[in-house]
Amino acid sequence: MRWWRRNPNREADLDRELRSHLELEAQEQQENGVSPSEAPWAAQRALGNWTRTKEATREMWKYASLERFIQDLRYGARLFRRSPGFSIVAVLTLALGIGANTAIFSVVNAVLLKPLPYPDPDRLVHVWEGKVGEGAAKNVVEPFNFLDWRERNRSFDQMAAISGGITLNVTGIGQPEALPGAEVTTDFFDILGTPPLMGRGFIREEGIPGHDGAVVLSYSYWQRHFGADPSALGRKLTVNRVPRVVIGVMPQGFSFPGPKAELWTPLPLARTKMWQGGRFLSVLARLKHGVTIAKAQEDMTAIARQLETERPFTNKNWTAEVFPLAEDSTERVRLPLLVLLGAVGFVLLIACANVANLLLMRSTGRLHEIGVRVALGAGRGRILQQLLSENLLLSLAGWAAGLGIGYWGLKGLLVLLPNNIPLPRADSIQLDNRVFLFTLAAAVATTLLFGLVPALHVSRLELSNSLKQGSPRTGTGGNRVFRRVFVVMEMAMALLLLSGAGLAMRSFSKLISVHTGFDPQRVLTMQVSMPSSTFQAAGQYMERILDEVRSVPGVESAGSIHFLPLTERVSGSCFTREARLAANLSAMSGADYLVISRDYFRTMGTPLAAGRDFNAHDQFGTASVAVINQSFAQQYFPGEDPVGRRINVCWTIPNPVEIVGVVADARQKELRLAPRPTIFLANPQAPRVFGQLVMRSKSDPRRLARAVEAAIHRVNKDQPVSAVSTMEEVLSGSVAEPRFQLGLLLVFAAIAVLLAAIGVYGVVSYSVNQRTREIGIRVALGARAGNVAGLVLREGMLLAGIGVVLGLAGALALTRVLRSLLFEITPTDPLTLFTVSWLLLIVSAVAIAAPARRAISVDPMVALRHE
Amino acid sequence: MPKESDERIELLQGTLDMLILRTLVFGPAHGHQIAKHIQRTTDDILQVEHGSLYPALHRLERKGWIAAKWEAAGKDLKREFKYYRLTAAGKKQLIAEESKWKGLTRAIARIMWPAEES
Repeated sequence: MRWWRRNPNREADLDRELRSHLELEAQEQQENGVSPSEAPWAAQRALGNWTRTKEATREMWKYASLERFIQDLRYGARLFRRSPGFSIVAVLTLALGIGANTAIFSVVNAVLLKPLPYPDPDRLVHVWEGKVGEGAAKNVVEPFNFLDWRERNRSFDQMAAISGGITLNVTGIGQPEALPGAEVTTDFFDILGTPPLMGRGFIREEGIPGHDGAVVLSYSYWQRHFGADPSALGRKLTVNRVPRVVIGVMPQGFSFPGPKAELWTPLPLARTKMWQGGRFLSVLARLKHGVTIAKAQEDMTAIARQLETERPFTNKNWTAEVFPLAEDSTERVRLPLLVLLGAVGFVLLIACANVANLLLMRSTGRLHEIGVRVALGAGRGRILQQLLSENLLLSLAGWAAGLGIGYWGLKGLLVLLPNNIPLPRADSIQLDNRVFLFTLAAAVATTLLFGLVPALHVSRLELSNSLKQGSPRTGTGGNRVFRRVFVVMEMAMALLLLSGAGLAMRSFSKLISVHTGFDPQRVLTMQVSMPSSTFQAAGQYMERILDEVRSVPGVESAGSIHFLPLTERVSGSCFTREARLAANLSAMSGADYLVISRDYFRTMGTPLAAGRDFNAHDQFGTASVAVINQSFAQQYFPGEDPVGRRINVCWTIPNPVEIVGVVADARQKELRLAPRPTIFLANPQAPRVFGQLVMRSKSDPRRLARAVEAAIHRVNKDQPVSAVSTMEEVLSGSVAEPRFQLGLLLVFAAIAVLLAAIGVYGVVSYSVNQRTREIGIRVALGARAGNVAGLVLREGMLLAGIGVVLGLAGALALTRVLRSLLFEITPTDPLTLFTVSWLLLIVSAVAIAAPARRAISVDPMVALRHE
Repeated sequence: MPKESDERIELLQGTLDMLILRTLVFGPAHGHQIAKHIQRTTDDILQVEHGSLYPALHRLERKGWIAAKWEAAGKDLKREFKYYRLTAAGKKQLIAEESKWKGLTRAIARIMWPAEES
């Protein structure tokens, strides 16, 4: 296929036409008395520049500009083939930058940019409760408030409550299992609007207590347990001890809330005592057509105010807040992702600067060629066009290679992605059209960025000079300035990235050296949760399990807690030291509370500071007791001995509660959050439906797992056991997210430093080549090796130094966006900035050392003969 | 590009097209004839740089105002020249350009020689 070749007929035609013109003109000149030998030349002069005339005429043909462009590309391709070293380095550099952008942008695209996978997603909102004056606290919702919201609002088509974040116990089909899922009110599926793959969603009747014997399955559960058999509809499952009929299967990819929901059961909310008081619901709603968030917020604020006066005990100082679902679900990952996107953006810029420098250096060698082109009639625009076409070819090659790198990079990224990172829609991350377009745009933008300066520069050169010089040895002044500016920019951006990575590293090392307050070694944990028929039975059930587990050989001690530390969960309550509860909850002091069994502290290695731990005598019906942590003691009993004091706790336990012990502080919700005042309640006296067992082993805790499970099943063969892991794994998992982010930042910073080092090496090394003669003269005149090396080092280190200073200024301005991501260090941490500056200077010095060595070894005689 | 300095009057942008069309009213002609005709009729005041003639011819051809064909010259049957002739669209275009030109010269004249007016 040679379709892009010029139309040969038309080309020949033009040639023939112009030739005949010349002949006629020569003939005429001769008739006018010009000598026969002079006539052709006179004719030629009358016509003007032959090539230019042809070029200008070709312009008039239809696809001339396209043909010319393709011609340029072909010429460019030939050039690149002729200097493979240059081409490979340039394409690889660009590919690295574009590849990193491809990978990160794919994630940003899927997570932040793509609309949520539901019909009309802009109308989906979350409604939270919030304490007045605490900003967007996004507290979960109290059931009665939800019921009132649903009845009174005028802004939403529908509203649903979700009791999620817990696991559902499935029994009666194979092994008992605890699976992520949610209890939802019946409008849930209608609000999201995703039609079921099979069967139906819930109907209103299934929301009535006693009629909730229905379950909807996720696609993956249906695949796993029913082998994708359509007859699964109508089959029976026991979920949370209620026998249920499978009424629907959701399509693949549907998961709400959370990325791995497997089952949904109806939440039979009713205005009964049992639902009142605690806040634990997430509320999802669909805005009516044409209602804005602001309007809905106004509506909800008014309703919240009514509820505040109607039920001051629970609602005093509480309000309702409406947030777009899309924003809400990506809130936590938005900033880290944007930081990473910024980091790869800098990497691309550095890559561009490097390639621009390569082009500048090469262009000096092409001055002769360009000079010839200009002499043959190419205008400045034409030269510019040619050079930019070549650059475009380069960036297209870089783009293609970058997509490859991006593809594999993304694959690696997703494999390494810790599975507890709350990355919504991680499964939809892929290289789609938008990613292609984004990276193509990046590639074309880089063409302009790195190509325009060298191209403009070359096209402006005086043609006579370049022709006279033959093969010019020295770049012109402007050229050298550009090269240096590029290197300084590279250094500055590399320092910026290095600062970011350095801060992340320092922050991470501080995070993992936090004193947890417990000893994670040799501790095995697992989740056992069983909604029990009665309050009392639940407490006794857990005690029976613990007794059985304690008897397993190898178990040193065992206990339970309702939320395991470092799994981002804790319960909140409030208390008063007065004889009775205050008129409303927010008038009392807030505190976290956790329900634990005896021996929990001993198992976790958290020392008691005063008083006693719970013991076997603290039972249902005996006097209510509590243990508090030191933070609680310091905050609420400063200078007093809290042991023996009584407090009234807002819920979950008969009041008053006597404090029997004080325990050392330990991190609970997240490693980065300082311990909060916490009340520990005894499991038999205040049982919860969820429980986490902790067992300290005499040796490797993993070896206990099977025996412990067997022990649990001796108590109840239908008891699902899930999330079996060691406490060390839990600890490490809790920092997986910052560790992952740190890893990426380090990789990007390393690429940036490497590119910048290559950049400074290239420029200094080129300059040494250019100055060989000068250095030779200096040596001949008596300069010593030290002087020569100093000359070269000064040149390079000056550039690096300016870059570092500019980079520091940039870092001071930019790293503040990292503030909320950093743990216990400020974004302008002097030690970090100092260290990374030195690191970059040292790397630069190493990069400059090679050309400096070459400069020292210049033989004056050879150098002087060189030209 | 360095420009040679010469005495001739540069053609106004766009007028070359009109002159070519006008020249072809007398019948088909090849490029050289057109150039010479413009030069001679204006007593060599208007000199067409031959180089700029051909792009113009090809442009007019693409627009469909003129058509081209290789034909043997009258006396010398061995030599062929590329003859251009006016098309119907070209004739219409010429009329339009002519009236535009008239309007332009009249307007310029009014400013340059106000006394001679009326």
